[in-house]
This record gives sequence, structure tokens and C-alpha cells, in this order.
Amino acid sequence: MDNVITYDVETSYPYLDDDLQIDQRTFEAMWRLFCQIKDYWQLSVPETGVKSQLLVFMQNRIKIDLNYYADYKNAAKVIRELTYQLGEQAAYEKLFTDPSANLQPPTTHLARARQRVSNEFITLALAVGGFKTFGAKNALGFISGGNIKGQTPYRTIEEA
Amino acid sequence: MNNTTDVLIVGSGVAAAAIAQKVLEKDPHKKITILEAGSKVKMRDFATHQNYLVTGNLPYEFCQDKAYPTKDSAGENESLGSTLLPMQGSRLMMYGGSTVHWGGWSFRLKPEDFKLKSNIEKHINKLSGNYDLVDWPFDYDELESYYCEAEHYIGVSGDSHDPSVPRSKGYPYPAFPYTAEDKPALDALKVLNLQYSHMPIARHGMSASGSIHPPCQTTGTCKYCPFGARYVAANYIDDMMQYKDYPNLEVKTGIVVESLIMSGKNKVKGVRFHDKNISETESFELHAHTVILAAGAIESSKLLLRSIDAHWPNGVGNDHDLVGRNLITHPYMMFEADLPENPDGLMPEMDFPTLVSRHFDSEAQQLMGKYIIVNPSSSIGTRLATEMQSGKPFSVIKDEITGKSKIQLHVLIEIFSQYNNRLYNASKRNHIGLVETAIDFEQGPDFNPRIKQIQADIEQIFAAMGASNTRLKTISWRADHAACTTRMAESANKGVVDKNLKVFDVDNLYVCSNGSFATLGAVNPTLTLTSLAIRLATHLNNHVFAHAQQTEVEEAV
Repeated sequence: MDNVITYDVETSYPYLDDDLQIDQRTFEAMWRLFCQIKDYWQLSVPETGVKSQLLVFMQNRIKIDLNYYADYKNAAKVIRELTYQLGEQAAYEKLFTDPSANLQPPTTHLARARQRVSNEFITLALAVGGFKTFGAKNALGFISGGNIKGQTPYRTIEEA
Repeated sequence: MNNTTDVLIVGSGVAAAAIAQKVLEKDPHKKITILEAGSKVKMRDFATHQNYLVTGNLPYEFCQDKAYPTKDSAGENESLGSTLLPMQGSRLMMYGGSTVHWGGWSFRLKPEDFKLKSNIEKHINKLSGNYDLVDWPFDYDELESYYCEAEHYIGVSGDSHDPSVPRSKGYPYPAFPYTAEDKPALDALKVLNLQYSHMPIARHGMSASGSIHPPCQTTGTCKYCPFGARYVAANYIDDMMQYKDYPNLEVKTGIVVESLIMSGKNKVKGVRFHDKNISETESFELHAHTVILAAGAIESSKLLLRSIDAHWPNGVGNDHDLVGRNLITHPYMMFEADLPENPDGLMPEMDFPTLVSRHFDSEAQQLMGKYIIVNPSSSIGTRLATEMQSGKPFSVIKDEITGKSKIQLHVLIEIFSQYNNRLYNASKRNHIGLVETAIDFEQGPDFNPRIKQIQADIEQIFAAMGASNTRLKTISWRADHAACTTRMAESANKGVVDKNLKVFDVDNLYVCSNGSFATLGAVNPTLTLTSLAIRLATHLNNHVFAHAQQTEVEEAV
């Protein structure tokens, strides 16, 4: 048992300390979705380590909101159905671009898959380095490093 | 909780943390009790950081005031004057106080800010408003060494050679270099011969000296730093509790202080409070040798006002009807213009600004209201995630990045105290359990003409960048920097506390908040507040506590 007392720490959501395991099939589907995001927007995501970052990200999302466990399964199912209907590339394109997926609040399976999963993966893909495609050196969420002389972790005025 | 302590501090923000640390460094066994009405929120947690990253939701939003009531919502607090000072988002009622969400801009006031009344009183008839001004009861030089100590305490990265303000000691960490995003603004400032400098910012840097506070990793998620690199009082109090050997430091959350208990006119005995963990209605007492109100300008003033007894029929420290009055804050303006192109593809890479101009924060501008210009970290460029999530393909986004772009500059301006601008206790309680706030505020008649002057200055800067169509996008009077409501002065008929932050006519009661400022200048107040907190703790250590110990020894002999 954790010896840090936390019962009086207020939180707006229940915090799940035990892992709720994501099954391999769902995770592979989510990794495929992440790779499609990377390819569709030509993001320069690092070759190694990102798959485990995605897994940790998904576990963290479930940790603070159990609904994500269902959301990942929902997204996998939506992609399977779209792929069956449209073929793989068109399936992902619909998920990424179909305006109906912007429905607020997201009350369709497609809208939940877009807003709760795909859109968050876009932010994650940028945060792990995908933004570099567009010329920047640092971006929201990217752990760029400390302010060390000669190794400034963002584009400086001299680089503009 | 024992019902007696040496030092009782109401509030758990930067003032409380700095005072407690300074006092405990001198006497690690000093009994200090910090009472906080709000609760704790988990800090430095990676899952929470990622949640903020992808949703923009912060885990402490429930610690904010709610919006003012409307016909459709109950809301909180009361706005009575003709100028609305929003309270929602202006502060956090929680363990760590508003430092949990602050931006970390760590400016010193300038020497002339300590002499506002003296400097402008000969020309004040040029203004239309009726202002109630005072000088600080000491000058900049008195506070300078405490500014140095405060910069080291909260961990400021800044340019030690910045000539904007005199200094005797460098910053603990080097300035963050200007970003590429600063280029249009910085080039324009150069062309116009306007002074500029690095933003002094409370982000820890690399240092040869040992520190338990990690350096900034430039994650761009400063509102919830996963490392704790930005100064947050909650982290510092946690560190004092967990890593330091301070056996008599106690912090209690969920404690709503109702009133001060006086023992006669000149001495405070303690406080009366509700412990939300036990009962919303049952009242308890905590007695103390020294009481410090460090609950922000708003709550500290209201606590004095509702502490009524036979000796203080209008509230403690309020015989001259000054508590809660002379309220000021900083109007925050966002100016925007259009750039025809963005050839370098500049876009937000940081979550804090690195360029500021204090050119108009000068004695020459003091009569009209000094102001600073900040190049915000999101001044220019495309928000990649938003564009992608809207379904735009790569080629479109790529073109947008170098195409026409909006560009912004932000301004903070000084306004002057008016006696009729005030706050006081409302009748209801808010969701935290604190008595709600009524704010009666009206902007001065000189404000709108001043805005026109500023807009003309900003238009010149935008023009020098090649940007057109300058507009005032928003102006916010939000009460983030509420100040001067228990102001410091030479005498009780001009202010509420003396130069040592002691309430006039009460021997052992102090107010350490922005409320105790005599003036606010044009800059964020937190560094000055921290300096005042360290100065107060030094005064208590050297004069009050030392004297009390000596008296105890003499009595024992």
C-alpha cells in the first residue's frame, strides 16, 4: 500500500490506481489509428518508443476516466465497421474529416471515436514530436528539455 | 488540532509559504499553523498533465469563484458598480492559493512606484478623476534586498544585467532566450527605439547549487507543470512538510475562518473557525501569539470587516473606514492586428512569454497610468492540433502556417485608487464555504482617454512589424491583481497597516497580501508580495520573536 496519505486530496474524478488492462486487439487497433494519423498529416514522429508512450497515455486516460476503456473499444469497432464498408484508407479519412463527427456533444459512435480518441491521439502525436514536420523545435506537450546555454530547447530569435 | 499556536497564518499561498519557511529556517521548532479554506489537488501527476494537454481541463477549476449570478444561473458574488470586475478565474481558493495557476511573471516594482503620490500630486489636477493616493511608507531601496531573496526563493529565471530596475544581486537562473516568435515584436521595438527586456519568470533553471525543485523542461503546459518547475506554493509547503524537520508546522485544509477574536482593542487572541471536515456549523477557536492574514486582498479584507466587537464596531482595523476600500486591479488588454504573411512559419512553442517592454512603465508616464507590453507566447501562428482536428489536410495546414496571420500584443496598465471603489462581505456563502464578495467598482474618467493613447502606441508597433488593422480585441478587468484594500501607510487615517504590515493599533496582527500594497504599479504583484512576506518574517524573527523570547527568559529569571 502506498504510504503517502491522499484521502484529503480533493479530485474532480475518481482516480484508478490499479491498471485496467487494455486487451491486445484493442491496443493494436489504436496503434494502427495512431500510425494513420502520423501518415495522414506526414508527422515526424520518432521511430522508437512511441508505441509504449501510446500505451501509457491510454492507461493514464483510463486512470482518470474509466469511460476511456469503452471509448477505445468503441473506436476500434467504428474503424472496423468503416473499413468493412469503405476500405481502410477511406475509413480513416472519414474518421479524420467527416464533419458529422464534430457533433456536440458526441452522441454517435463515430463522434465519440473522433472526439474522445482520434482527436486526442492527434494532440499526442504532435506532443511526441510530430509538430517538427511544420518547422518548429518545441510545442505544447513536448518535453523539450532545460534552458541550457547553446542548447535552447525551442527556436530562438536567431533561428527565425 | 491543538487550540494554541505560536504563529497562525490564514491562507496557504505564496505569502504563507514564504513566511513559514523564513521563520522556520531561524527556529525550526516554531509552532506555525496554516489554515486554508480550500482543499488539496494532486500536483505533479503525469496522468493529470496529459488530461490537461488533450482536453484543456485543469484539475483545480472547481477552486475558482463561479461567474456572477445571471437570470439563468445562481452564480456567486455580487458586482454592484458600473464596471464589472469578474472574479471567476481571478484566484484559486485552495491549498497553494493562486500560485497554483499563476503565470510566474516576476517583476519588481520600479523606484517611482513607491512615490506615486509625491510624484504626481503637483499635476493631479490635469486628471478628471478623484483619486485617493498614498506613497509607500518606505522606498525601493528598503525592499531591494528582499526582492533579491524573493527571486531566489521562488526561482526566477531572468537577465541579471537588465537595466529596467536597480538590483544588487543577479537572478538565480539565466533568462530564457528570446523565442523566434518574439522576432516581429522585438524588431519593431528596436526600430522605434523602445526599451525591451527578457521576461523574468518563476521557472527553475539549471544550477550548480543543489535544489529539490526540478528545472523547467519547456513542456508548454505551465498551468499544470508535471515537474513542478514553476513556483507553486503547494509544492513548497509539501516540501517543508515532507523533507524538512519542522515538527511543529501544521497545515489544515477545509478550515473556514469566520472572525478574529480580540482580547481588548490592541491584541488579537486568535480566530474563530469552522472545520468543514467536522461540521459546517460548529464553531471552534484557535489561539495564537501572532496572527497573519495572508488570504489575498479580498479574503483578508473581508475577514477584518466581519470581525466586529465592542472595541472595533466597524471591523478590526477599520476605525477610519479604509478596509476594503481603494480597490484596484490591472486591466489586461489584448491588442491584435493582421500580418500579410508569416514567412518563418512562427507558431507557439512555449507557454510563457520571453519578451516584455517596460518602456512605458516609467516615471514620465506615471501621471497617465504606466503600462507594460508583453509579447504573449501565443502571439502569432497556427494552432496545429486545432487545424488537424478540424479535418484540414497536410497541404492546407502547411500553406496556412506561412500565410497571413493574426498577431497580438498584451498590455497591463496601472490605475489609481478611488475611495468609493471597494469590496465587502456579501450575505451568502460560496461553494467553498467562504462568505461571498460584493464588489462596488467604477473605472475612473481618465481610463478611456488613456486607452486611446495606448492603442495609438501599439498601432505604431504593429505598423513597424508590417501589421495592419490594429484593434483592441479584449479588455479584462478581472480581479487577478486586486490590491490596496488594506493598504500600507504612515498613519491610520491613510491606511490599514503600518510599514511592517502590522494592523494599526493591534500589536500582534499582520496583513500580508496584495491588499497591503500602497500602489500596484504596472506589473504583476507576486514577486513584490513575496518580498514583503520575507521582509515581514525577517521583522518577526529579529524584533518580535526575539523580543518575546528575551521577555520569557527575564520573567523566568
